[in-house]
Amino acid sequence: MKRLVVLFTLLIAPFWLLAQETFPTNGVKEKDVLYHAFTNATIVNYKDTLKKVTLLIRKGKIEQVGNNVSLPKGCVVHDLEGKYIYPSFIDPYSTYGIPKLEKKKYDGPQFISDKKGPYSWNEALKPEVNAAELFTPDDKTAKELRKIGFGAVSALQNDGIARGTSALVLLGGGNENELIIKGNSAAHYSFRKGVSKQDYPSSLMGAIALLRQAYLDADWYAKNTKKKEVNLSIEAWNRNQSIPQIFEVKDFLEVLRADKVGDEFNVQYIIKGGGDEYKRVEEIKATNAALIVPLAFPKPFDITGPYEALYIDLADMKHWELAPGNAFFLNKENVPFAFTTDGLELKSFFKNLQKAIKYGLPQEEALKALTLSPAKILGVDNEIGSIKAGMRANFIITSKPVFDEKCTIHENWIDGKPYFINDINRPNLSGKYDLTIAKKVYELQITDEAEEIKAKIVVTGEDKLKVTISVTRQNVSLSFAPDTTIKSSILLSGLIDGKSMSGKGQLTDGTWTNWKATYKGELENGEKPDSAKTEQATEEISVGEIWYPFSPYGSSKQLKIEDVLIQNATVWTNEKEGILENTDVLIIGGKIEAVGKGLTPPKKGNVIDAKGKHVTSGIIDEHSHIAISKGVNESGQSSSAEVSISDVVNSEDVNLYRQLAGGVVAAQLLHGSANPIGGQSGLIKFRWGKSPEEMKIKGADGFIKFALGENVKQSNWGDDQTKRFPQTRMGVEQVFYDHFVQAKEYKAEQASISDKMLNYPRKDLEMDALVEILDKKRFITCHSYVQSEINMLMHVGDSMGFTINTFTHILEGYKVADKMKEHSAGGSTFSDWWAYKFEVNDAIPYNAAMLNKAGVVTAINSDDAEMGRRLNQEAAKAVKYGGASEEDAWKMVTLNPAKLLHLDNRMGSIKKGKDADVVIWSDNPLSVYAKAEKTYVDGVCYFDIERDKQLREEVKNERNRLIQKMIKAKEAGEETQKPEKKEEKLYHCDTMLDEY
Amino acid sequence: MSIKSYILSIIVVLMTTLVYAQVPAQPQLQKVVITGAISHLGNGTVIENSTIAFEGGKITYAGPSSGYTVGGDEKTIDASGKHVYPGFIAPNTILGLVEINAVRATRDFDDVGNINPSVRSLISYNAESKIIPTIRTNGILIAQVTPRGGLISGTSSIFSLDGWNWEDAVYKIDDSVWLNWPNMFNKRGWWAEPGPTEKNDKYEEGMQVLDAYLAEAQAYSTGKFEETDLKMEAMRGLFDGSQRLFINASFAKEITDAILLTKKYGVKNVVIVGGEDSWRVTDILKDNNVPVIVQRLHELPGRKDDDIDITFKLPKLLHNAGILYCLNYAGDMEAMGVRNLPFTAGTAVAYGLTKEEALQSITLNAAKILGVDKTLGTLEQGKDATLFISTGDALDMRTNNVEAAFIQGRQLDLTNHQKELFEKYSAKYGFTK
Repeated sequence: MKRLVVLFTLLIAPFWLLAQETFPTNGVKEKDVLYHAFTNATIVNYKDTLKKVTLLIRKGKIEQVGNNVSLPKGCVVHDLEGKYIYPSFIDPYSTYGIPKLEKKKYDGPQFISDKKGPYSWNEALKPEVNAAELFTPDDKTAKELRKIGFGAVSALQNDGIARGTSALVLLGGGNENELIIKGNSAAHYSFRKGVSKQDYPSSLMGAIALLRQAYLDADWYAKNTKKKEVNLSIEAWNRNQSIPQIFEVKDFLEVLRADKVGDEFNVQYIIKGGGDEYKRVEEIKATNAALIVPLAFPKPFDITGPYEALYIDLADMKHWELAPGNAFFLNKENVPFAFTTDGLELKSFFKNLQKAIKYGLPQEEALKALTLSPAKILGVDNEIGSIKAGMRANFIITSKPVFDEKCTIHENWIDGKPYFINDINRPNLSGKYDLTIAKKVYELQITDEAEEIKAKIVVTGEDKLKVTISVTRQNVSLSFAPDTTIKSSILLSGLIDGKSMSGKGQLTDGTWTNWKATYKGELENGEKPDSAKTEQATEEISVGEIWYPFSPYGSSKQLKIEDVLIQNATVWTNEKEGILENTDVLIIGGKIEAVGKGLTPPKKGNVIDAKGKHVTSGIIDEHSHIAISKGVNESGQSSSAEVSISDVVNSEDVNLYRQLAGGVVAAQLLHGSANPIGGQSGLIKFRWGKSPEEMKIKGADGFIKFALGENVKQSNWGDDQTKRFPQTRMGVEQVFYDHFVQAKEYKAEQASISDKMLNYPRKDLEMDALVEILDKKRFITCHSYVQSEINMLMHVGDSMGFTINTFTHILEGYKVADKMKEHSAGGSTFSDWWAYKFEVNDAIPYNAAMLNKAGVVTAINSDDAEMGRRLNQEAAKAVKYGGASEEDAWKMVTLNPAKLLHLDNRMGSIKKGKDADVVIWSDNPLSVYAKAEKTYVDGVCYFDIERDKQLREEVKNERNRLIQKMIKAKEAGEETQKPEKKEEKLYHCDTMLDEY
Repeated sequence: MSIKSYILSIIVVLMTTLVYAQVPAQPQLQKVVITGAISHLGNGTVIENSTIAFEGGKITYAGPSSGYTVGGDEKTIDASGKHVYPGFIAPNTILGLVEINAVRATRDFDDVGNINPSVRSLISYNAESKIIPTIRTNGILIAQVTPRGGLISGTSSIFSLDGWNWEDAVYKIDDSVWLNWPNMFNKRGWWAEPGPTEKNDKYEEGMQVLDAYLAEAQAYSTGKFEETDLKMEAMRGLFDGSQRLFINASFAKEITDAILLTKKYGVKNVVIVGGEDSWRVTDILKDNNVPVIVQRLHELPGRKDDDIDITFKLPKLLHNAGILYCLNYAGDMEAMGVRNLPFTAGTAVAYGLTKEEALQSITLNAAKILGVDKTLGTLEQGKDATLFISTGDALDMRTNNVEAAFIQGRQLDLTNHQKELFEKYSAKYGFTK
């Protein structure tokens, strides 16, 4: 192993300035004319390994690779016998060299962007940000990245919803002009508004709506020639569309959400994920998105005792265990992905990479994810990412295969310039030696691998003396205390010659002496100081199952549809037949097939004897805020008709399961009540274990939340919230009139534009939603309390030509029941809440019974995750307060909400042909003593009181297993994190902000 | 609206404006006998055909009808097929200390300062609260009205839910001192922006503050001084047993630490309140004779991985372990919501208790834990005639229907603000009952 020429000159900076052709030279100009040949190397590209070949480079480019490369004259030859060459790694998602933005202090409501100039109205939309302009090389970080094999990164300012463009930069020294190899490597997006203090968007769904509107505005801006606005943000947005589009998200649900937005505008995002894509890999695959996944994995929790362990969620423990397998699961399903170091402590890079490989990721795929894949993602695979003629000379030289735990990276060549990491010329000293000092012979053992050299002295076979060793080139220094009882050390310096060493040293008393170390052979197994590490490496990886949903009470298999005959039950039909004793209900193919006596059992399926039990259709919660991700209110504006809860359904919320156990099968997930015109609803069935899209009720009508009263006036929000219009009920009315007048004009204008080429109409999502209301294609559920405002909104509706579908809460509905009936408005109310704010002073529990009696379609809702699981009891209160019949009371949580949601043609009663959303109760369902024993949704039994017992055991066992595993991980020296329980988000109407 | 219903509605409106709402009852003058009812004595016994007699505010007979001869001078109430219960007791409530939670001017339950033992709910109790009459109509006749906030919140008093003023309504003055044990885990963020829960590094510090304070309070209780420390004075009763110490604690270790620390300073009567994890530490509760006021049953499990019904079955778990427990309704919307306390007892039946055991958890057990079981909690001779008649099972919202209620023999006016509005607007629409 010899090198013919040592290129010290390469360490001199001016040489690198050659590439800057426009710059003047200060001094005598140097020329980059030489060839470099790397001979006898093993060159590893993805799925292509060449042994004993030559790599020839010149002027930063690869000239030739192969067996028959003839070395030209003027060639520096590097003999790489036994060494490996890999393409250097590429990080497609990095903030290297880009300044970080600081969040401004909150200074009251902010309605439009603070940014000066002709830019977007929203501070989170900044497609004009150009990372190439912001980039400043940072030698310290570059060095750290080079050390672990990186040669180039795509750097962005990761702030805001539209983040502008990233720059592909080399990690070499030098200045910006030569380091940036592509000034606009990708355009970047996210759902997070970042440092923007603008109120809008205040929720995830708001961010989604803002993105949609941005696409529409960009389209309009490009096509409308008569526009009266110059908008540099939109111009940049449109320019950015031709380059790779990278979307950063936090978790797998957001991968699905981002991709859905992309699909709507024919954009295929590359998605930078949160590392939990394995939780729903099938759905992730269906997005067709290439992913950028983190190599940062969660640390085990620090478990100090059994009680403390209670505060760690099973889902978090499972994620800790499964996260290193993310790449394996993606690769198994052929989902294309690249790795990023984003969020990673760089010292853990190889450790985590090796972990991912241990979890089953093939080494070549790991290599691909660091080289070819990121190059492809950025559209630069013809330039970097593999070692081929014509490409940039970006590669690393290693001592062993790069994913080997003992591998050392010697050199990292970037654009044809070397960066030395671990001296390739230093001999490897691993082995046993006889160390002779002043006639005394010690047995010296040295391990020299993975960039670390360690030594010790073995006395009488076992006693070890610690030896400090340092090696540079041919020089070696050793020191050790020859006797454990004394503190003084022997100090040795010498030269290495082949495998032997010799030189001069000083004994503990200071006298000088000669010494030598003679190589005696290789270390045997068990003699290595870190033998424990080796054992660990061969340890079998065994992990728990992936649960659907990834939550307690999930299961590894999806539940299946069943054909069932329920016999001899008391059946609450909700139809004219009323309550039938000793009756059978037959469920076939997810539908109710028959109701009657003596029905024939299905050919394949179950027969359940429900003697003494009650069977009803499932409970439907007209007003729920469970299963929503990151924000129930888009409170930034007085109207947010463009946002939709259906964009942020969270399929993993354990409250879905808890409510199935209370006989609930479906709910309207409502926007909150922070503004007069809220957002659109999500109507879901509780299909526990399915994805958000699968939970949504297909073909359901669209709904939207409106709100009145103290919440929209911000009455109870604190003294600094007095700027947003409206602050009075007078203003609330004006918000409605104003918006509907605008919507009518918008509709008329859209229809009247004749020459759409010349005057391309601007599509406004907020107005579109309001037009849908006017066109009776979207229906209002309005949060309401006092009679004056209820009356007011009906007047607005009447004058604009639409009906208020449902007044929700409607606690003073009993005061205007006759007017509601006349307007054909329904009511969905709390059973007995009152006195929590001034406007509910006259709320009475008799309200539901009175509305019902007055002929208003009346429902009882929860608006509360806890009450949601006891809605049967809440319905019973309509009997207690106001004397509704039991049948009528029961309809208030089943058929009537189905009517209010326009789903009564398929849900809400036990009737042939309707969806098999059926609950078997232990007792009269209105009784406090009743429990749901089985809850079917579309013929699938999502809750079974017997299976629940089994699931509890599984939760306990899985917890125990993982706690034990974490304790072991901690004992094995892994860094830990403090126990932390993620707080469940429990939303009510007036929950305003979220850490979205 | 027809003319007839219009006139009717005017009459009703006039009536409701003329009649004073819920006039407190006169002392019992005449002996009352309730016959034929199914009596739930509150101690586990049910008498199918019972007679309950009371005079001068005290029960003179509670037993089978066969054992009682009706005289001539009593007021007799035939309650055949109906149910009689001892008045339900709501411990740990801010009823009377708040009217409309969102309106600051009506919130009188949490004062400035971390250690406030001398602050008393007694004088803040609003006997005229519009909420109170809506509570007793579901059978709750006694409430322990409790200050909140800080480390030591203040001193509670027990009230009967009828009276002209606090002096009139109070049943036991300054019965207990209330303490909030430090949290081992803290919730970050605020209600609208909940952050994660994480380990509280200041837990030990909080304990040290309490340790030092109890040490001083105990020392103070043994001496007499020329100067008066009102706070220390308020702590005296804890050491001679005349007052109880109620400690809000939910996490297993918090409960254990609370018991050990109060034991160290010889606090005589300690009660754990909340006790989400109390079922995990029943040994130490039992060994130290510490009862538990169980957190509101109608709450979600505290942890995602918990059994989904853990909050519902908590009473049964404590029952099985032989711990004395009762129920309360502290939490969100508690003042107006405490009328649902009986139904939380009903829920405990669905999750393991018998109906009579569940009843005890809001009658006798509560009386014992509050230290008023000599006169309240059961239908027994010599105890207060604080009881009510319901046409059906009062633990089930489906059947709870309070027809008549008595506090110390005084028959209550069972109208309330909400019933009046019901009647007013029923009349407007011409609804017949």
